[in-house]
Amino acid sequence: MIRYALGRLLAGVLVLWVVATLTFALLRFLPGGPFDKERTLPPEIMRNLERRYSLDGSLSEQYLDYLGGLARGDFGPSYKYVGRDVADILREALPVSLQLGALAFAIAAAGGIALGLAAGARRDSLLDRALALGSLVGVSAPSFVIGASGILLFGLALGWLPAGLWEGPLYAVLPACTLAALPLAYATQLTRAQVVAAMEQDWVRTARALGVPESRVRRRHVLRNALLAVMTYFGPLLATLLTGSFVVEKVFAVPGMGRFFVTAVGNRDYPLVLGVTLVYGALVVLANLVVDLLYAWLDPRIRVAGEEK
Amino acid sequence: MAARGVGIALAAVLALACVREAERPAHELRINLGTEPPTLDWNLATDGVSIIAIEQLMRGLTRLDADLRPAPDLAESWSVSADGLTYTFHIRAGVTWSDGVPLVAQHFVDSWRRLLDPATAAEYAYFLFGVRNARAFNAGRVTDFAQVGVRAPDASTLVVELDQPAVYFPALVNFMVTFPLRRDLVERFGERWTDPGNLVSLGPFVLEEWRHDYRLVLRANPTYWAGRPALERITAYMVEEASTALVLFEQGLLDLVRIPPLEIRRYENRPEYLRQPLLRGYYYGFNVKKPPFDDPRVRRAFGMAIDRSQFPELLRGGEVPWSSWIPPGMPHANRALGLQYDPEKARALLREAGIAPESLAPVQIVFNSGDPTHKLVAEHVQAFWRENLGVRVELQNREWKVFLKEVATDAPPVYRLGWGADFPDPDNFMSLFTSYSEQNHTGWANPRYDELVQRAAREPEPSRRQALYDEAQRLLLETDAPIVPLLVTAANFAVSPRVHGFRPSAMDLFFFEQVSAE
Repeated sequence: MIRYALGRLLAGVLVLWVVATLTFALLRFLPGGPFDKERTLPPEIMRNLERRYSLDGSLSEQYLDYLGGLARGDFGPSYKYVGRDVADILREALPVSLQLGALAFAIAAAGGIALGLAAGARRDSLLDRALALGSLVGVSAPSFVIGASGILLFGLALGWLPAGLWEGPLYAVLPACTLAALPLAYATQLTRAQVVAAMEQDWVRTARALGVPESRVRRRHVLRNALLAVMTYFGPLLATLLTGSFVVEKVFAVPGMGRFFVTAVGNRDYPLVLGVTLVYGALVVLANLVVDLLYAWLDPRIRVAGEEK
Repeated sequence: MAARGVGIALAAVLALACVREAERPAHELRINLGTEPPTLDWNLATDGVSIIAIEQLMRGLTRLDADLRPAPDLAESWSVSADGLTYTFHIRAGVTWSDGVPLVAQHFVDSWRRLLDPATAAEYAYFLFGVRNARAFNAGRVTDFAQVGVRAPDASTLVVELDQPAVYFPALVNFMVTFPLRRDLVERFGERWTDPGNLVSLGPFVLEEWRHDYRLVLRANPTYWAGRPALERITAYMVEEASTALVLFEQGLLDLVRIPPLEIRRYENRPEYLRQPLLRGYYYGFNVKKPPFDDPRVRRAFGMAIDRSQFPELLRGGEVPWSSWIPPGMPHANRALGLQYDPEKARALLREAGIAPESLAPVQIVFNSGDPTHKLVAEHVQAFWRENLGVRVELQNREWKVFLKEVATDAPPVYRLGWGADFPDPDNFMSLFTSYSEQNHTGWANPRYDELVQRAAREPEPSRRQALYDEAQRLLLETDAPIVPLLVTAANFAVSPRVHGFRPSAMDLFFFEQVSAE
């Protein structure tokens, strides 16, 4: 098991190297550079800037420089935020996104499983139909619509919640719910489908025939099997939620990392784009690893197969 | 059960409302900056957000009075030599930095040296390129700073020598990149010298907290030489989404926000609404190297086919139609100049140039995304040209940096750009279209225009200066017409009734020294 995990980690490092290389190359293909501004700079000042940020060497030199920095844990300086290192920026912004993302994940995962189980177990009931409609809205409405509706309703009309800023638990309610809306809806649909499928399995019928109480049947035989598929979705979802969302952070003025995915590209802040991409990549790799380990724990067949190897 | 739940929720809301009321201390102003200031290092700052924070923390040699004329600030007075080349500034006595160190003239020399040092790579080093040898020092051609025309013969005297006379120089040294600097602190803290705790300033406020991408907190500077400001604290949040900021304003969580264009209609008649016309022009440029715009008659024809009077109703942001280039509110502005709307004459000019509109290839207008205004304007210009000239027009939208690269390297036939004043002198606008300006993307070069702008820069006598700028504007706008100015823009604010004395400047700067909050 440990060897398996280590092997996966090593593969993860390889994946991150590929991600870094591709991102580096793609960024340089984009027309326009970090110092192209509304006010065109005199050539001598442009040269000073390129020298300061080591952009005057060849592309391969810059690439090797960057990888060398990465190996030392140095993401380089931001081009936009003068005098700040990308690592400092991420150190300040990531924890905020982590908090918000963890909250949203908890809402989406717990809510999605509970609602999906309730709907799937009472197939075609009124509750099932209501949830189907609700989750359809959740899956299809973009987050800026949900966020703006939340602000209008709970911020302006009712005055219960602040429309933005990040001052305390109350301020997290609207952004967390907005961020959770889509995955909650999707997890509900996914869980419901799995529950419906599991309910028709032979082992469920057998358990019922043996007189196992219905609540125990659902917990042990239905839910556990349904969770396997849902888990596959939760891994990447966790990574996505934890690294923040551009829309939600922008709409609610949350000082997280998500907004950099868009603004840093717009600013051609190469080191910052690479930094957020790599952090996101690392979290995806880690989350998938955790899911696979959880899989093994949930499903004895996988565990056995893994050990035989 | 349900009733009890509702009761608890209501109690919580009430408690929250009380908390909010208590959280708002007297003499605190809560504003929206919009975004994170890229830096508080005034030598390196270039953007409109950083400058708002820096202007509260720092002061320069001069400041601008209500009529935008340079008035004494850290320089108590100044004099200029008869040839207009040497400025002597007398530094105000008794000014101290927030750590108690007295201000001396050398602090200006240190700042300007750092600004011009190629290793600093300051983008706005060019503001001082008029100082003798400054440009050569910045390019590394002169390495001995003693050859650059700035020195402090004693603690209270700053002497500046220019390459060419520039009557606007006292206005230019009101700009943030020229503010004095504590070299000892920059050397001690390196890039972290602007962090809270390290940053020492001499303006009405000092930096207390900087939570990146979230908020800046400034506190009154008790040792400010002109007297402690009325405000105790300024909290400047960075709410990017303007409509969220407006809701926060309506919730009483912010006192001062910008109003996004779509909301102006809703605010126009409310007492919280404040509009400030800006020294900011919006123009269409032609690439005079690309047909059909290589013929000035065609450029004039296209310019005359635009009806500017429709823009205010369309954009609703307090825009003013403006056919000349020097914006209203700036000295030597002249409303009468520039091409006026005249579709008849426009068609005649096109015929005269031998252009058959129906056989002309579609004309491209290139603009950038990010601000919906640009698209609105482009669509209307497209309609004007189609209807009044009978030509086909294509609109092309580009991402900001892609757009900038294209304009700077191979300008499209027609493109939009804007320009906001750095200092309120016509030179800041007029020198843009000289043949040697980096900002002139039109490919147009006229030696007479260059000469007029240079002569105006050294002409101290107002009526003669007016005549020079009028002639230059006629060349730029009526004869050769490489650009067509369309309008000047305005800033729109919502200001809480508890705030008094807030007067934004025409350069979109805020000074909170005179502001108070209940």
